[in-house]
This record gives sequence, C-alpha cells and structure tokens, in this order.
Amino acid sequence: MPEAFWLLLACLLSLAGMAWLALAMAVHWEQVMLQPAARAAGVRLLLRGAGACALALAAAACLLADRPSMALLVWLMLLAASALTVALTLAWRPALLRGLCALRG
Amino acid sequence: MFTSFRQSMAWLHTWFGLALGYVLMACFFFGALSVFDREIDRWALPETRFAPQPMPSFDKVLLPAFARLEADPADYALNMPALHDAAKGPQTPRQELPPDEYWAYTTHRDPVLAIGAGFRVPQPKDPGLENHIHANATIDPRSGAAVPSDQLKIGSQWFYPMHYSLNWQWQNMGIFTVGLAGLVMLVALVSGVIMHRKFFREFFTFRPQKQTQRSLLDLHNLTGVVALPFHFFFAFTGLLIFAGFYYFPVSQFQLKPLHDQHEIIEARETGLPHQRAGIPAPLASVDAMMAEAKRRWAARDMAGEVGFLQLHHLGDANGYVSIYRAGSDRVALVGEAIHFKASSGEVLREEPPRAAVPALNEFLTGLHLQHFEHWLLRWLYVLGGLLGCACIATGFIFFVEKRKRQHAAAGSPGARVVDALAVGCVTGMVIAAVGMLVVNRLLPAGLSGKGEWEQQIFWGLWLLAFVHAALRGAPVAQARINPAWREQCWAIAALALAAVLLNWLSTGDHLLQTIILEPYWAVAGVDLSLLAAAGLAALAARRLARREQRALLSPSAAPETEVVHA
Repeated sequence: MPEAFWLLLACLLSLAGMAWLALAMAVHWEQVMLQPAARAAGVRLLLRGAGACALALAAAACLLADRPSMALLVWLMLLAASALTVALTLAWRPALLRGLCALRG
Repeated sequence: MFTSFRQSMAWLHTWFGLALGYVLMACFFFGALSVFDREIDRWALPETRFAPQPMPSFDKVLLPAFARLEADPADYALNMPALHDAAKGPQTPRQELPPDEYWAYTTHRDPVLAIGAGFRVPQPKDPGLENHIHANATIDPRSGAAVPSDQLKIGSQWFYPMHYSLNWQWQNMGIFTVGLAGLVMLVALVSGVIMHRKFFREFFTFRPQKQTQRSLLDLHNLTGVVALPFHFFFAFTGLLIFAGFYYFPVSQFQLKPLHDQHEIIEARETGLPHQRAGIPAPLASVDAMMAEAKRRWAARDMAGEVGFLQLHHLGDANGYVSIYRAGSDRVALVGEAIHFKASSGEVLREEPPRAAVPALNEFLTGLHLQHFEHWLLRWLYVLGGLLGCACIATGFIFFVEKRKRQHAAAGSPGARVVDALAVGCVTGMVIAAVGMLVVNRLLPAGLSGKGEWEQQIFWGLWLLAFVHAALRGAPVAQARINPAWREQCWAIAALALAAVLLNWLSTGDHLLQTIILEPYWAVAGVDLSLLAAAGLAALAARRLARREQRALLSPSAAPETEVVHA
C-alpha cells in the first residue's frame, strides 16, 4: 500500500501547509495566538515559507502516489479541502491550530 | 448605468446567478451524487449487491445474452416508419430484425454489465445512414441472466441524467438549459473574482459570529474561492463534453458533407469498413481477440482490463470487433482500441498514441466523467460538488437577506418569492432525492413499473417542498426567517434515517454487516452518507430554531439563517 501512505502524507502536508499560510497572516495569527501580530513578524515570514514548502511537498507526495495527470487533480482538490478545513477551524476552534507553531513572537 | 466596472460585474453576478442558480444547484447536487451513482444503484437494487466483475467471456456468456435481445418496442414504433422504405415492401416485424451491432460496457465499479444491440433495418430509405433500431439490457455477467428492466437504477439512470439534463428530454431542453447554466457559471466565477476585493486577504475567512449578511458573504466567498479550480474546470469540461454533439453540432449541419466525407476517408485509412459487404461470414472467437488485446496492452506496459467491446456489421465479411481498454488507472476515458477482423480474428488496426490536442481533450473530459479508480479523489469531488451547492445556496440567502428589510418596508413580495424558491431548491431537492430512496425500499421489488412510481414520487415530493416553502413564507415578508427551512431540515433528517432503517429491514444489510461482517462498501457508504446527512440536517434545524426564537424575542436583532448541505 505505498500509494495509501503517500496520499496520507499528501493530506497531512497540504493541511499543515494551509494552516501555516493562514498563521502567517496577521489577522489569523492574532486569532490563534491571542497576541499582536507585529511582535511575530519574523516568525510569520518563516511560516509563510514553511507553508509554501509544505504545499509543494504535498504535490510531490501526490506525484509519488499516482501518475502525473491524476496527481494534479488530487493535489488541487486536496488544497481545496485543506483550505476549507483550516477556515472552519479558525472560525470555530482556533486554539486547535496553536500547536502547529511552537515558536511564539 | 454603472459608475464602475466592478459595479457592472456585481449586477451581472447577482442577476444571472439568481436566474440560473436554481438550475446550477441541481447540477452540482446531483453531480455530487453521480460520483457514486453505481454505489447508489447497488443500494437501490439489492439483488445486484455483489462484487464488481470484469468483462465476462464473450463466447460463453455474452453471445447467448446478445442472442436473447430484441429490438426495443418504443424505439421500433418511433423510428421504424421513418427509416424503412415502404416502396420496397412491408416493414420487417420487430422480432425478425437482423442484428448489426453488439456492445458491452463495464467499469471497475460495475457488478452488472450494460449491453446493447443495434438491429438493422433491411430495406432502408437511405442505405448510407446507420439505420439502427436499438436494444439495451443489463445482465449479471456471472450467469448472463437479465436483470429486470423495469427496476430503475436510481444512481446512474436518474440522479446522473438529472445532473446533465434535469431529466427533461423534450427537444433536449434539459441539456440546453444545463448548458446555459454552465456558461453562466463561468460568467459568475469570473465576475465573482472581479467583485471580490480581498481574494487572498480573506482566503481563510469565515466569521459565523458576525451579522448574518457578513457571515453569509464570507461563506459564499470561501466556498467559491477554495474550490475555484474545481468549479471552473467542471463547468468548462461539462460544456466541452456536450459541445460537439449538442451545443455546436456543426458536423451534422453546416459541415455535414465534410463530416461524411471524413468518415469514408477514415474508414479507408484505418482499414475499418464503413459499410457491410453483403457477403455472409462467420464470427471467430471474440475471447481470443480479448486475450490478444490484453496481451498487446501489457506489451505496451499498460496492462489493463477490457472496458468496452463493440462488434460492427455482424455476420458480414466486413464485420470487425473493437476492443477498448478500461481507463481505471488514468484520467482519460476508455481507449487504446484494438480492432480485429470478426471472421478471422486478425488484427486490423491498433490505434496509435493520441496527438496532443485529442489527448488534452481526453484528459479534460475524463477528469469530469471520472472512470478512474481513486476513492480519495472521488470523495474530494463530492466535497467540491457540495461546496458548489453551498456557494449557490449562500448566494440565494444573501440576496434575500440584503433585500428583505427593504422589501418588507415597501410591501414588495420579491424577497419572499426568492426565499421560497431557494428553500424548494436547496432543502426540497435533498428531500426529493432521499425520499426517492425511502420509497425505493418501501415499494415491493416485484411491483411492475416500480421505476415509474419512484420517478413520479421524486417529482411529487419536490413539488410539495416548493408548495410548503411558498405557504410558510409569510415571515419573510416581515423580514424574518421562513420556518420552512427548519421544517424541511427535519424532514431531511427523518427521511435519511428512515432510508437507513428501511434498507436494514428490507435487505438485512445493516451497517455492522456491510462494514465488518461482510464488507460491502458501496452500500455502507450510502448508509453512512445518509446518516451524516441526517445529523447535519438535524443540527441545522436546531440552530435555525434557536435563531427564530431569538428573532421573536428581540425583533430588532438580525435574524440569521444557516445553510447546511447534505
């Protein structure tokens, strides 16, 4: 079942990537960390890079699981599902995202 | 008229979205159900609950099954007088028409096999045409026995055609309406992106605790933006799939001579005869041809199963057999056809790899029609479809919320009408679909014309939902919530729960059975989805009740609506 492993990894990476990209935004950082975003400008910049990397790695995991044409579709749909999950978590349980960033400002 | 480009886009988005949103809602909802159409078929037809089967032996199973086929009486009554040349003699009786074409089609999700035949009209008016009277059937590929044809495959014969034709066949009006709606979807996406000032800044933004209009707009933007590639490509490829055949059928009108000429040249170049020779010939072993096709695919490093099989010009020296590979492992559909001479079994032609443009077309249509075996992607498609539904539904409710106070003050019925239509087409559509499943389990399997009953009840329930929404809409005219939203949510919850229970009672397949004891995920998946739908609907109903209460206690506070889709 190597495909299942790569797909699971792709799911986790895209979820983490979207969450990091969200945390890199001032409004969501404040929502989750309950502290001014200005104090964590450096960390947020780092998170933006980490988020982008995670999404790219998610694409790589999709490519390891399926042929490229299929991987493209899986990746795009995973991005949608992850972005939605992150948005709904931010709306109802923002504290859950706190664990995703050990560094505070 | 408009002071800015953005304003003109907003006008376009609002009014075109409102006008065709109702159709789009059906396309998205039944599209999401169609992702699992075969699984819904299994749920609705308990006697077909067995494992998917590969293409069976032609010589032992299919040939006797084909031989039992008779031309469809309705097709015969409709088309025989038009195709037959009365000057050459009386019409050949229906049962005596000679078969000219056989086909069989399966996918990795099909336990039962769809087969069909084209019967030749012996004395046609125009011998250049195809002149076929058709027959379709479904068989159990393990035995060749026919599956009763008056039982409706609710998934693939009702929900799926609902998705692309609204089951409105007259003059193909349904297909054209859906096409127009698809075009409007593209327009709505482009204008929506232009209107949306904070595309990236509000990418993850949903503020349920803010006032209703704000949180509705958040949800509308969120569901539209995160699945934007899905929405765009499904609207676009949906149009593309029907473009050549329905929307721009130039090959049948303006370019018909060119098209016909192309068919003849193609037949000459590929060596696949366009017409019968008129010389009788026997049929060699098709099983041997299927084995050879699989061997050739394996040699090309793309081993696979037979997905589609077609025999042309039966019993004629020009007869040939086309064998297509099932596209389970790729986005593109069936393909890599290998054609054999029917009388000898020699290979006439092996289709070369596609050039770039046809390959792109196959990818785009394949991504929409999804024959591939990829359960994660299937579920993600369902999510995409439901996000589309949520986007359209929040659009309707936002329209109402924005205007209902003004309309209430002015005594205008606009908001009330739009709201009632929205109730009927959001919750009412779910009621119709789930109610149809309930009725499927209530009516006895042996009832003749059971499928007809199910269809009538589907429309009946949907109509009732619209009537109910219209009758209960008075509070909207006073800028409050239509209680029909809550009541129909309860109806969904009750129906979905009843469907799961009735499936258990009528077949013995409860979830413990289908998940653990004897895993059968097609049925378990439908049951679990119904339970999830029931849960979400009940949750939505309770929240709506709370908001209605709050609005009654303090009439000045903004009443809120919640949309949950199942």
